[in-house]
Amino acid sequence: MSAGAHSKSPSDFLKLVLGRPVIVKLNSGVVYKGILACLDGYMNIAMEQTEEYVNDQLIHKYGDAFIRGNNVLYISTQTSKKKKLLVEFRHHRQ
Amino acid sequence: MSDEGQKNNQDGGMVEEPLDLVRLSLDENIYVKLKGDRELYGKLHAYDQHLNMVLGNVEETVTLREIDEETYEEIVKKEKRKMEMLFVRGDAVILISPPVRI
Amino acid sequence: MATEGQQSNTSQRLPLELIAECTGSKLWIIMKNDKELVGTLRGFDDYVNMVLEDVTEFENTPEGIRTNQLDQILLNGNNICLLIPGGSGPLGDQ
Repeated sequence: MSAGAHSKSPSDFLKLVLGRPVIVKLNSGVVYKGILACLDGYMNIAMEQTEEYVNDQLIHKYGDAFIRGNNVLYISTQTSKKKKLLVEFRHHRQ
Repeated sequence: MSDEGQKNNQDGGMVEEPLDLVRLSLDENIYVKLKGDRELYGKLHAYDQHLNMVLGNVEETVTLREIDEETYEEIVKKEKRKMEMLFVRGDAVILISPPVRI
Repeated sequence: MATEGQQSNTSQRLPLELIAECTGSKLWIIMKNDKELVGTLRGFDDYVNMVLEDVTEFENTPEGIRTNQLDQILLNGNNICLLIPGGSGPLGDQ
């Protein structure tokens, strides 16, 4: 569908990150960092060495974790860039 | 899925898809995080592809958050109770963690 | 009408074709909850799960807009509400 030198389908992305450190963010805002062991078509995820963060604070560690796919907002490669926290005010939006 | 994703568990099981992690936890004590600030510890008797589960010897923890009207501090209360056997509806499940294997 | 219309009608541009045309360019995504993202579209599938690069995540909170920077993500299509080609984002052109 979207072929081209620079296109990368979701399945290409998943092949790339399998077995690598990832950040998984849920719709609730909770963040999991760990190694992506595997996942399926529902975006159910199995992770290893999982750390659970709420508001940037580490609150739990799990050896293995299964995350039900319907809760997943995104799967991200782990970035070395420092997180920015920027507060703007609502009047920027009309 | 590809070989990279496979992982050998100590009991010889292979994790090829996420649900294998749950399959390998059958008859073991697991931790389940549910929507609505609920957590469960219990023995996994059965599950299906929706993550509907039957747990035995369960301890449920409900976390209640309130804001103090005067100090605006958040008050976190944890309530625990035990159930002999219960059914978990899969759509409430956020996370399942198997026991740490030694 | 609708049954055979979709395939034979060449004058209609299908929604997913519009998204395909955005591959390689910036896209502004508004989620069903209080989240918005801007990033470069690298690919997507039939569920509109998307691979995005150089992503800025915007979260509307009572304190203002929280932003977060990510290199590469797979965004779950399940909670997407709107897609806007161009990608000026919630704060306007930056």
